[in-house]
Amino acid sequence: MTTSVAAAAPAVNRVPFDLGRVLYVGLNIVLLTFLVAPIAIVLVFAFNPTPYISFPPVGVTLRWFDKFFANPDFMNSLGLSLWIAACVLVLAVLIGGACALALARGNLPGRTVLTAVFMSPLMLPAILTGLALFQSYLLAGIGRPVWGLIMAHTLIAVPYVLRTTLAVLHNFDRRIEEAAAVLGASPARVFFEITLPLIRPGVFAGGVFAFIVSFDQFPVSLFLVVPKRETLPVVLFNYMKFDLDGAIAAASMVSILLALAVVLTLERLIGLKAYVKL
Amino acid sequence: MDRAEPLRHDGADMAASHRPSSIAWLIAPAGLLFVLFFALPFGVMAVMSVFSANPVNNPDAFLTTRHYMRFIEDSAGIFHDALWETLRIGLITTLVSLLIGYPLAHWMARMQSRLGHVLVLMAVIAPLLTGIVVRTFAWMTILQDKGVINTTLLSWGLISKPLPLMYNEFGTVVALVHIYVPFMVLTLTGVIGRIDERLEQAARSLGAGRLRAFAEVTLPLSLPGILAGSLLVFALSISAYVTPSLMGGTDVLTLPMLIAQQVGTSFNPNFAGALGMILLLVSLAIVLAYNRILARLTGEQELA
Repeated sequence: MTTSVAAAAPAVNRVPFDLGRVLYVGLNIVLLTFLVAPIAIVLVFAFNPTPYISFPPVGVTLRWFDKFFANPDFMNSLGLSLWIAACVLVLAVLIGGACALALARGNLPGRTVLTAVFMSPLMLPAILTGLALFQSYLLAGIGRPVWGLIMAHTLIAVPYVLRTTLAVLHNFDRRIEEAAAVLGASPARVFFEITLPLIRPGVFAGGVFAFIVSFDQFPVSLFLVVPKRETLPVVLFNYMKFDLDGAIAAASMVSILLALAVVLTLERLIGLKAYVKL
Repeated sequence: MDRAEPLRHDGADMAASHRPSSIAWLIAPAGLLFVLFFALPFGVMAVMSVFSANPVNNPDAFLTTRHYMRFIEDSAGIFHDALWETLRIGLITTLVSLLIGYPLAHWMARMQSRLGHVLVLMAVIAPLLTGIVVRTFAWMTILQDKGVINTTLLSWGLISKPLPLMYNEFGTVVALVHIYVPFMVLTLTGVIGRIDERLEQAARSLGAGRLRAFAEVTLPLSLPGILAGSLLVFALSISAYVTPSLMGGTDVLTLPMLIAQQVGTSFNPNFAGALGMILLLVSLAIVLAYNRILARLTGEQELA
């Protein structure tokens, strides 16, 4: 491939057939297919009636969705996961948004170091965060409460909110705030009428990530759940170790649709631009 | 800068700009969360790893290095292999993610059409919206003996028995690459997008071929992005648990899998703590090394 691109390279200016360009776009389309196809295949298996995963599909059925929705283990864990993700969204948006404002506007010494410190839960292996919290809860003798799991997820979700909010704050013209202040607005009014509306897209985008990070979270949850009160990813994982049938595909489809619903809802509220700014 | 500053600010303003303002207090909740649920727990893990048992409720617990010695002596011959396997899987995953992620990121960063950009971005983000468990399941349906690839090849008569695509290192790496490549793409797109396209155009108009302009202008300028993305993917893949334990079969045993065994089946949280500290040291060393390289590279660029 390399040689053919080099051969095509000298003819630069708008030639009718550009082999290098065709190879470049073709390669990228193949790579995009690699990213998207597996997810499409899961959706196919959710409707395939054979009792085990097999290819090609032989028909269309909804029995796997029945099996998923009729199973109390799946339903309880789905409810728990949704509840935890909702709590994490709210907490991460409040804590991460406040932290971003403090870092960008607080004149704090050592801002870069502080930012790196607050981002570090993303850099260290999540399974170790789970292990460290498991041992701390063990030592503190508090068992494994749901709020402990919520705090663990929030810790991992805050960096996402921090990153998206800081990105918006960096691109933000501070003179708008200064102008409002010069015209007599109190600091509180400047904050609620200028700063907050302008950073909202970044905070919301971070909130979307927080919800999804929590809803799909596995490594942090692994050591922090107790039997009979597990989150959906943990239940699916345990099920998959022994059984590989369409119920998992149906569950996958439900969680993909839920994540998509969250994204689309927030997209209606704030627009797609927030993601592009990432 | 020296000339501009006195014009813009009076003395009082200057002093104020060096003192933390009241907004700085907003950092408190995040600080509390970070200390109580991150810094302190890692301290607890370090303490647990040097005790023979839970030091709070067991009065006989004593200080010991035996958990670390158990790993270093490795009498069963599995711990060192697990560490090596973890690092090797991380390295291969990172390299393949870079090879796949770079063209996509370059394409996305240089795309003229806004609609095209949004569509590619959605395709890159879509896998991120599905969890690790779901994506691992997707690869199991593709790579297993009755999976998509083997069934198709068998029905075309290209192979006579299913290829061993899963329950080994190959399947693990394929699934890990798919899971972590979006992080590489998003990191690289940002960096490549900030490189002025006119630099490459200038090289081309001075007679450099398309490949040479890329190799000598864009590629070196995107090096910080390559390092940052690789760091991210490496850190993520050495801590992966779901994918190696579902896709690796009996072939693959990584450090995170060992840790989970110690917590779940052996219930030895102290030894799990020691294993955790070892994985932590490895990741910290890599994070620091990469950060160093990154800082030096950006420093050199600013000088140039």
